[in-house]
Amino acid sequence: MTFQAMYTLTDLRVLLRETAPTHEFDAAQKAQAQRLLENLERQVGSLKQEMLK
Amino acid sequence: MKCGTGIEARQVDELFINIDPIQAGGRLTADAMKAVVAYGDGYSVCDNCRKPNRLDYISKPPIAEFHKDVAKWLNMDAVRTVPGARRGFQAVAHTYVKKGDPVLLTTLSHYTEFLAIEDAGGIAREIPANDRKLVTPDATAEKIEAVKREFGRPPVLAFIDHVDYQYGNMHDVAGIAKVAHQYDIPVVYNGAYTVGILPVDGKAFGVDFVVGSGHKSMAAPAPSGVLAATAEREKEVFRTTAITGDVTNRKFGIKEPEMMGCTLMGVTLVGMMASFPHVKERVKHFDRELANHKIVMDALLSIEGTKCLSEYPRKHTMTRIDTLGSFDTVAESHKKRGYYLQSALEERGITGVIPGATKVWKFNTYGMTTKQAEHLGRSFVEIARENGIAVKG
Repeated sequence: MTFQAMYTLTDLRVLLRETAPTHEFDAAQKAQAQRLLENLERQVGSLKQEMLK
Repeated sequence: MKCGTGIEARQVDELFINIDPIQAGGRLTADAMKAVVAYGDGYSVCDNCRKPNRLDYISKPPIAEFHKDVAKWLNMDAVRTVPGARRGFQAVAHTYVKKGDPVLLTTLSHYTEFLAIEDAGGIAREIPANDRKLVTPDATAEKIEAVKREFGRPPVLAFIDHVDYQYGNMHDVAGIAKVAHQYDIPVVYNGAYTVGILPVDGKAFGVDFVVGSGHKSMAAPAPSGVLAATAEREKEVFRTTAITGDVTNRKFGIKEPEMMGCTLMGVTLVGMMASFPHVKERVKHFDRELANHKIVMDALLSIEGTKCLSEYPRKHTMTRIDTLGSFDTVAESHKKRGYYLQSALEERGITGVIPGATKVWKFNTYGMTTKQAEHLGRSFVEIARENGIAVKG
């Protein structure tokens, strides 16, 4: 789960690289960012459950 | 944000379009970044090292398979990973060059080729590039004859850069190798700017060795690279150890002296491996990279007084440009002097130009999106206009 979260952040990092310097996302990039951020929230939620139980 | 005492987290490529000429092809892919996170520990790739205990035999992670794949991809017979292209040059020079031997390279060769020759005790002899900054087979033949006259024998080895670091020009490696082989001179193909950037076929070039740079052109962490050899040369440069300890009687199996045993470990190797499928794919689309480069070149050449010092039309995305007649004309009177260009570029989210450079400089557009290339081209034109430099069209 730790890796999954870090890898999702890595995908977001690459998105920032591909859109530098303006970081203006087109529709596909916005959808990708949304999906990645939702995944990240889920992954952090699972980490909380696992590590703080 | 810091990632260690005094170490700022580097965000250059997240915040800027980076046109540094040597950094473009070495930017990591997402998979390489992920592999680096998982394999950061020192001997991380060695968990499953079994007899005969050599890096290129490890099957988990699939290092052995990677070596075979790279050899096939370069159309060569054997490959080893090395800590940078320079260590590939060094291994080959150390195998073939003895003290006082003449070795051929060119007036555009990278300094590490000179150092490899020096380290082996050889004497460097340069094939001169012509007025167009190209090294030709004819010039090679002339230089070999000159070396024969000087030393009474031909050079023992030749280093040829397919695309040179000074101009990013593409040289006739196949023609040069053909000439060198007429004198039985083994040829090292320096692919620091090509292996991982555009298709490379070692057998088609007729070379004995192909050297590539992982951190320059294969989207890999530094220091990394590859050294590939033909079946004939493999036995020579990748010969195995024969030494024995006189007290312990120890022997060292199939370790290779030129590789100093195992070579790349941890992040360098897995980073290169993780990027490799993407690298194999991207070389098939070099035409897209040239199209993006043309967007920037067209913009730069629309600025009055700007000259392209590299061969033109461009065959590579790294280019040497002369702005003595354009951006440099402003430097003397500008309050920021020569730093105004770098400053104006950074205001537009562009980095990688040497601070203060307004005369002759290099840039590389490899890996940019078309949108980024358009932004870069537009920025050069805007900066020119803002500073009263005429722009065509």
